[in-house]
Amino acid sequence: MKAIIISDKEYPTKEYQDLKDLIEKFLKSKGLKTELMEVGSDNLTFCMGCFGCWIKKPGECVINDMMSQINRSVMNCDTVIYLSPIIFGQFSANIKNTIDRSIPNMLPFFETRTDGSTMHPSRYETYPKQIIIGYGEVLFEEDKQLFIDVTNKHRRNIEVLIYEGIARNILNSLNKMEFVRDRGKL
Amino acid sequence: MKNIVFLSASPKINEQSVSKEFLDMAGNRIDAETFNKIFIDVRRSLSSHKLAENFETLAKADVMIISFPLYVFCLPGILMRFLQDYYNYYIGSSCANITVKVYAIVNCGFPEPEINLEAVRVIKSFTQHIHGEFRFGVLIGAGPMMIAAKEAPFMKKTAQTLSDAFSSISDDIKQGHVTKTNDINIGVNFPFSRRLYLFFGGRGWVTSARKNGLQKTDLYKKPYRLNE
Repeated sequence: MKAIIISDKEYPTKEYQDLKDLIEKFLKSKGLKTELMEVGSDNLTFCMGCFGCWIKKPGECVINDMMSQINRSVMNCDTVIYLSPIIFGQFSANIKNTIDRSIPNMLPFFETRTDGSTMHPSRYETYPKQIIIGYGEVLFEEDKQLFIDVTNKHRRNIEVLIYEGIARNILNSLNKMEFVRDRGKL
Repeated sequence: MKNIVFLSASPKINEQSVSKEFLDMAGNRIDAETFNKIFIDVRRSLSSHKLAENFETLAKADVMIISFPLYVFCLPGILMRFLQDYYNYYIGSSCANITVKVYAIVNCGFPEPEINLEAVRVIKSFTQHIHGEFRFGVLIGAGPMMIAAKEAPFMKKTAQTLSDAFSSISDDIKQGHVTKTNDINIGVNFPFSRRLYLFFGGRGWVTSARKNGLQKTDLYKKPYRLNE
């Protein structure tokens, strides 16, 4: 069993260090082999909206940087955990780049979700268990709620947690989860 | 003279973007003799190392109009980078003391304009962090199609709604409204069914792929899990 942790290396705050250590220790205790992938502006560039990952090289980003390795590792692990600073209620720029550039893992077509909204269909039959943990030193209630809403809007099978320095809350939530691949919708 | 900064935040390189088209439409309604209009392209700003100069301009803005495409249901990473870095500049700067008014124009390829709502909330949060005043957002569904088919007869009503929305921004700036204005949602009044819109959208991807020498089946490739 393997887990990938994707984090933003531009925010080496105490919260980040504590959270990273907490997650690594937790996954180890569950018997998962863990790989940490720290992203920053030096190893990951922006999506350029070319749609090459759909119409030129389907399933693969055409930009040659760390994202190819991230997409390959994510699609072959059991669990992926994103650790993102909460910035204006959204993911940080580096984590958002990772999310923007994960669209090769979807198909270009459209499907209608149960709430009537539109979404791109899944490319694969199974996906890793997905967890996003937003963190910050001082977080406004509005930003925390927005982070949860944004995450739930773009994924159907995802767990979203908020970390503000209290390990117990995160561990309680993680202890209720199963770290296996999901069959079904993104 | 008041400064209005138009921020275009499409991640596309060397391509005319839908976000820029909408921004130009909004800009055309604002009188150049009354307002100083400044356009900033976020990608160009980041890649040409003009950030410090552009941040200085932003710090002096009375009004900011930010236009961008929805990427995975929220702001594209490139815009987050720009706003995050501007925020860091702002908190370290003593000259950014003007209460700026901020408007958002968000477009997506999906037909429902409401999908853009969280992205507008992010711009609102950004505005609060820089102690500005968020006014309202224009949320546009099926944005690329609106631009591509803007001259088509069935688009007449939608084009008028769009025009009214941009006039609302212009009026709000001119009149200095203090009352709250609601977000404006604009979708296409389809002359055909939503299902057909999605069908033609899907067919468009196949046509584009064929131009690159691919077959329809190639679009379904699974490069990272060959056994599925």
